[in-house]
Amino acid sequence: MNVIEVNHLVKRYKGTRTPSVDNINFSVEKGEFFAFLGPNGAGKTTTISILTTTLSKTSGEVKIAGFGINKDARKVREKVGIIFQRPSLDLQLTAEENIRFHACLYGVCGYRPAFKLMPAAYKEKVLELADVVGIKDALFKPMKKLSGGMQRKLEIVRSLIHTPEVLFLDEPTQGLDAVSRRSLWEYINTVRNQYGTTIFLTTHYIDEAEGADRVCIINHGKIAACSSPDELKTVLLKHELILDAKDRNALTAELSTLGLPYTVNSHIAVPYEGTAQALISKLNTELTVLKTHEPTLEDAYIEFLKKTGGDIQ
Amino acid sequence: MSEQLLIKRKSRFLREMNAVIAVMAREITVFFKSPGTIAMSLVMPIMFMGMIGGNLSQNMASGLEFGFAKFMLVGMLINMLFMVTCTGMSSLVDDHETDFNQEMLVSPVSRYSLVVGKIFGASFGAIVSMAGTLIVGLIMGITLPLIQLLMILALSPLVCLAGGAMSMILIGLIKSRKTANFAVILITMPQMFLSGAIVPINHSTGVLMILSRLMPMTYCLDLTRAVVYSGTEEYKSVVMFNPIVNFAAIALLTTVCLIIGTFFYAQSEKNR
Repeated sequence: MNVIEVNHLVKRYKGTRTPSVDNINFSVEKGEFFAFLGPNGAGKTTTISILTTTLSKTSGEVKIAGFGINKDARKVREKVGIIFQRPSLDLQLTAEENIRFHACLYGVCGYRPAFKLMPAAYKEKVLELADVVGIKDALFKPMKKLSGGMQRKLEIVRSLIHTPEVLFLDEPTQGLDAVSRRSLWEYINTVRNQYGTTIFLTTHYIDEAEGADRVCIINHGKIAACSSPDELKTVLLKHELILDAKDRNALTAELSTLGLPYTVNSHIAVPYEGTAQALISKLNTELTVLKTHEPTLEDAYIEFLKKTGGDIQ
Repeated sequence: MSEQLLIKRKSRFLREMNAVIAVMAREITVFFKSPGTIAMSLVMPIMFMGMIGGNLSQNMASGLEFGFAKFMLVGMLINMLFMVTCTGMSSLVDDHETDFNQEMLVSPVSRYSLVVGKIFGASFGAIVSMAGTLIVGLIMGITLPLIQLLMILALSPLVCLAGGAMSMILIGLIKSRKTANFAVILITMPQMFLSGAIVPINHSTGVLMILSRLMPMTYCLDLTRAVVYSGTEEYKSVVMFNPIVNFAAIALLTTVCLIIGTFFYAQSEKNR
């Protein structure tokens, strides 16, 4: 069952000639981890803004959890959670006050003027989430005293407090340290497994999309590719052996004789199909370096942008 | 109507009320955390009631059919509610600049709940200013009986709602703090002079008369004075319209302003 359906979506901002999102189509299944990648200005945030009803579309049809974003905007908003690209916190409140405000707007619980007076279920969930992302000690501090990373973590807690059906993450780990990034993803995966939450991610850290069920690359407002990370890597990249020898000339001569293509950088990279063993067994030159290189999604993404003329950041 | 539908509507209404309270509580929390705002709420009465009002009392009070001091005090109280509510509403522009508007607009509550919550939140500062105005009035020797003060207090949510709704027409469209500050002056200053807050407008004619009739504050003031002067000889000289007319005009203007202002607020973020 599709939880997100996008058909012929177009967005043209006022005063611009070319559309930022140009007739895109895709769907996301319930419980799927969907990554939306693309260079800056490709149309990722515009698409997320339309899907979360904060931006109007020019044309096309979008349904979230079966509800149209224009006709049933309120129902769509009930189903989604979002971490915006830019922090959207009230810096004059404490961290917990920001969460409480959000929880009340989403009907999680009735408003009370102090954390102590809030329902037990709310307090437990806030403390649990804050513990997971490591901001438990900062929960009652003024926002101004929290670092950028801490504020980002708070936004994550806030977006999960109403247990959304679809969670939109617009570059959620920007500004987070490596440890926080890892703990955040562990938690997001737990939420996904526990509640079947659909994840819609845009990110500049391509490695974060490695675990996605499906990756869509958007470029110049159009969907350029859409498949699983493994398929994308298979189509775009080959496995490589990284070799080197004391007598580098002998090695390159041998590779040429065998009709194997190679590139020379710091070492010699030899793309191969099948097994690495089959290639190595053909070589007689004594090797000093022997490594296999598994292509990453990031390699595939960069390769794709090179081929399609995208702007590589 | 089926029972299920009734329960659904009741639950929806309670949820909207909860959102109004949450937005209002946020404004009040922020008010207490901003020493500058508290100071301004207390300084404004000194400036308006003490300086402008005091000067007018000394120089304009003679030759009138009613006591000017009381007339001016009631005018200043309503003016303060209007002005501070409008100023408070301009914090919507700050919310836009800090992207907090996105957080509010992506939530599954009515945009009217967000705006009404904001207005009632802003009116908290207005009531603090109203209290400040009373204290300045007390120092100047101008007082009102307790029962009349309570009546004004009872009317204050309506006055604040009217002021906040009116300010939304401009604030809903504005995206920069600088422009918002200018807009607040543009909204509040003409009303202070044309609605009869400090100068009687019974004899206004032409454009000034038309403008005064278009301003919600004119009716808020007249309704409040009708309540305060009820049963006194001065009533006829001070009050211009029947209280029912005032109430109807406030309801109409507030509804129209609220609908237009909320539309502008929601659409200006969405339609880019």
